[in-house]
Amino acid sequence: MDIQSTIKKLERELNEALVSVDKIEALQDVKAAFVGKKSELSGLMRHMKDIPNEEKPAFGQTINAAKQRFNTMIESRKKAIQAKRLARKLEQEKIDVTLPAPDFTRGAQHVLTRITESLEDLFIGMGYLVKEGPEIETDELNFEKLNLPKDHPARDMQDSFYISDETLLRTHTSPVQVRTMLEYGGTKPVKIICPGTVYRRDDDDATHSHQFMQVEGLVVDKDTTLSDLKGTLLALARHLFGEDRKIRLRPSYFPFTEPSFEVDVTCAGCDGAGCATCKQTGYIEILGAGMVHNNVLEAAGYDSTQYQGFAFGVGVERLAMLKYGIDDIRHFYTNDVRFLSQFKGELS
Amino acid sequence: MRVSLNWLRDFVEVTKDIDTLTDTFTLHSMEVASTEKLIDASDLVIGHVRACEPHPDADKLLVCDVDVGQETLTIVCGAPNVAAGQHVIVALEGATLAGGLRIQKTTIRGVESRGMICSLSELGLPMKYHQETGIHVIDDEVRVGEDAREVLGLNDDVIVLDLTPNRMDLLSMHGVAYDVAAMFDTKLTIAEPKVTYDKHTNPMTITSDTDACKAYYGSVIENITIKPSPSWLKARLIAAGIRPINNVVDITNYVMLETGQPLHAFDFDLLNSEIIVVREARQGETFTTLDDKVRTLDAGDVLITDGTRPIALGGVMGGADTEVHAKTTRILLESAAFSPLHVRRTASRLDVRSESSMRFEKGIDIAKLRFALDRASELLIELAGATVRKDVVYVDRLDTSEQTIELPLSTLDKVLGIRLSQARVEDVLRRLRFRYTIKNDVVVITKPTRRPDFENHQDIIEEIGRIHGYASVPETLPRTVSVGELTDKQRFRRAVRETLLGLGLHEAKTYSLRPRETVQRFAVDKKTPVTVKHPMSERRAALRLSPLGGLMEAASYNVARGQSSVHLFEVGHVYAPTGEEEKLAGLMHGVYRPRHWQTTTALNFYTLKAVLETLFKRFGVSVQYTPATLEHYHPHQAAVLDVAGTRLGHLAKVHPAHAAAHDLSDVYAFELDLDVLYDAREPSLRYQPVDRFPAIERDIAIVVDRLVLAGEVINAIADTGIGALRTVNVFDVYEGTPLDDDKKSLGIRMVFKDPEGTLQAEHVDRRVNSVIEHLRTVFDATLR
Repeated sequence: MDIQSTIKKLERELNEALVSVDKIEALQDVKAAFVGKKSELSGLMRHMKDIPNEEKPAFGQTINAAKQRFNTMIESRKKAIQAKRLARKLEQEKIDVTLPAPDFTRGAQHVLTRITESLEDLFIGMGYLVKEGPEIETDELNFEKLNLPKDHPARDMQDSFYISDETLLRTHTSPVQVRTMLEYGGTKPVKIICPGTVYRRDDDDATHSHQFMQVEGLVVDKDTTLSDLKGTLLALARHLFGEDRKIRLRPSYFPFTEPSFEVDVTCAGCDGAGCATCKQTGYIEILGAGMVHNNVLEAAGYDSTQYQGFAFGVGVERLAMLKYGIDDIRHFYTNDVRFLSQFKGELS
Repeated sequence: MRVSLNWLRDFVEVTKDIDTLTDTFTLHSMEVASTEKLIDASDLVIGHVRACEPHPDADKLLVCDVDVGQETLTIVCGAPNVAAGQHVIVALEGATLAGGLRIQKTTIRGVESRGMICSLSELGLPMKYHQETGIHVIDDEVRVGEDAREVLGLNDDVIVLDLTPNRMDLLSMHGVAYDVAAMFDTKLTIAEPKVTYDKHTNPMTITSDTDACKAYYGSVIENITIKPSPSWLKARLIAAGIRPINNVVDITNYVMLETGQPLHAFDFDLLNSEIIVVREARQGETFTTLDDKVRTLDAGDVLITDGTRPIALGGVMGGADTEVHAKTTRILLESAAFSPLHVRRTASRLDVRSESSMRFEKGIDIAKLRFALDRASELLIELAGATVRKDVVYVDRLDTSEQTIELPLSTLDKVLGIRLSQARVEDVLRRLRFRYTIKNDVVVITKPTRRPDFENHQDIIEEIGRIHGYASVPETLPRTVSVGELTDKQRFRRAVRETLLGLGLHEAKTYSLRPRETVQRFAVDKKTPVTVKHPMSERRAALRLSPLGGLMEAASYNVARGQSSVHLFEVGHVYAPTGEEEKLAGLMHGVYRPRHWQTTTALNFYTLKAVLETLFKRFGVSVQYTPATLEHYHPHQAAVLDVAGTRLGHLAKVHPAHAAAHDLSDVYAFELDLDVLYDAREPSLRYQPVDRFPAIERDIAIVVDRLVLAGEVINAIADTGIGALRTVNVFDVYEGTPLDDDKKSLGIRMVFKDPEGTLQAEHVDRRVNSVIEHLRTVFDATLR
């Protein structure tokens, strides 16, 4: 029998053996039987001595090539068995991907903080600093230095909680403006916003709260104009209520500013056409503003013949109510989780 | 201020409809709170009751023949006061009355009734203005068939202005007329009153001892017949929101509304003398005001006296003794100037805010004192048959010198941010009826007496600005260039919030004002609370010493509504007499994570400790926990927290009794001083090279006395000062068999690292042995 047909026969037998093998251990036996030292293939090498010298290299190559081929066949079978085994294992690891995940609930930022920080970021972008101050203030900083001397009739407008004759819970964050101006000593421009909690003697109901949050703004420089105020407030209105909003100023009164305004924004619900939300006026009042009263500048150490400026103040609760359609101001302080947890996504 | 359009037309040409008026007021003058029709009724005519017979088939009804001009109608009427000969208001078939009631021909118990005889209430006038229960009987001279709304002055519209305190000028019809004239550039028609005096002299002598009353005018008016005012006058008072009383009282009110100058009428015959002395009250003096209340006065209240006794509280209220009554025939009519401050103090202390005091408080037009007196005299002559004594007696020390305000045109432009031509400025000033001159581009304005609120050129800028209109002001941004950024503290506060949100706590906000008796609850440092002087209620009487009181209420609120898992935190101020502190407080109740099929959801002390530790690690802060007994908290699950020897706050389980009082079960709470945490944070980040050599871990289990704290063991190990020992952690705690009852086992994992090279196992083992030796010495610990 010539060598070629022997190898062919062995190859046929190997094929048959591999097909019936489905375990790695059994494969080892097959390997030993076909390419091992004691295999028939290895045994063929013993015939080398019977081969003429010039044929010896070809004879050896034929056997080696066959061995290589056999190894490849065994290896490929091994991979197939392994793959099958892995597939079986993975099948056992099958899970239900539709089962719910554990809930790593993220907390929600309070909507008042959210709006306050959003305004802070807007104004920081326009070059403002964020200034803060105490909630228990002196009468002097809360009123007197803001052109509200004792017995001033406008004190009625913000009836307050006094702690002593001279201290009270601040009724606005304006005293922070005064503190900042005093700190600057009348020598450099002021460009600040003042967020914070304030208090007024209001009976709590759906639209009134004895405690609420404000963000006030103040710019004082040598050339700060009413048009700058208007542009700034337009930026604020658009930031909160959308790019298409317009604003209008209505004459009003605050002791610390003159002229003073109520500022309306075109109603987002009807785009100014008039609807139930804006009581058919097309506008919604969002804040109060004005040009800083000379008495305020002077009381805080600024020369009113050199400096002028604008100020505005906005109620954060009111903004949140308008923006999100919240119907009752008491929600902000009740901390119902069903309320709190709604304010999660990006501010839009 | 309620503005009757009929009345307004007496003084200014009104060319626009009410909607345009409203819009224009809103943008150029004052917020319009609402507009109303004085009455909302149509098809009303004057009727004359010819005959009035009982209804044949109904006891309480009357059948009336009413002449309405074109015809005579049969009308069934139920009002007992209807009678033949009366002039009445008839709602014709098809008429609409208040509340949308439609009048139709109807048959009442067999009698056909064509229309209705009306009461004022049926027209929509509230009872408080007329107090008539039956049909309205017209006293005035009227012609049958005329439009009743017109004849009675009820065809009126009212604009309700929401006045701001600076615009006292709009507390009078004259003032409103000035503003309308300016806004619409129309004609003003305010006429000077014309009084015909009789030949008798005024016997009064008037003195004022106080600068709180610098002017006092008194007129003596006689031959008065007290009777109801004519319908047109009543209608105007009602439109203004004032109840008509009788012609004398009505006229004083009417003139006050017209001119802004309050007047007061004394019954001349009830005065004890012919002198008036105005003086300040003595402390404790008493006086009975015309509402029959005895008032105890303070020094500084202004009294009008007749030399023998007080007769009025100046500018606030008249006295009961000298009040005008139904039989009054002679009056002393007062027109005076009282100081805003005095009136405000008196009115607010006595809690009497009248139309009069309101006007004095805000400042009157000092040029109108005599005008108002004359106008009232004119009306008294006309409507009460009065005669007026020829001299008006007065004292007047008011400073009437003209004051001027200068406004450089450049300042106007600089403030408004627009360029207004001189012609435009002059046009606006002319419309405002300001007297002015312009020299070298400076406007010099004579301060009008009707605007006592004017102080400086800012007031003038405001006037020019509003009449010109703000719509034309462009929108620009300040040219001030500056860096905008948060402070480190503000960034830190945001990071604190962000960290806690990430750990599943919602941010809450609670009220600062709390009940006095519970304000110390849950605060560890029981400071004396700060209280407000006049709280609105006991619930809001004191300032919180901890946010936890409010957070406990919030937890309770949620649990009561089926939200059993409540994880909240708050960043906010607390208030001690020594000052405000900023706190971070929070609590957890229920389960940490919602129930899940796979993971555990338990919540205990260590859950909240883990939350805090995450926060502390975020800022590189190492915190010491010391067991503590804290009021309101669990006696054996409470710790005070210190950082580098400074008290940071506390972490504890709320005492079950207090939790139960809030209908809560297990609640864990913490409170930290935000400033202490801020100061303790790692100020700046420093990079450490990543270890190049492997770490070696060693676990030991030791048995120690049960009372030994894990923290003490960890600290003791750290105290050995082994350089390569990087972390020590307790990974297991065991009590029970086979250990003795008073023992426990702690599993401790130590991690060793050497930045310079690979540690040898034998070296590490030697160090572990020295640790064990140390623990044996300190705690009598044995290896398990």
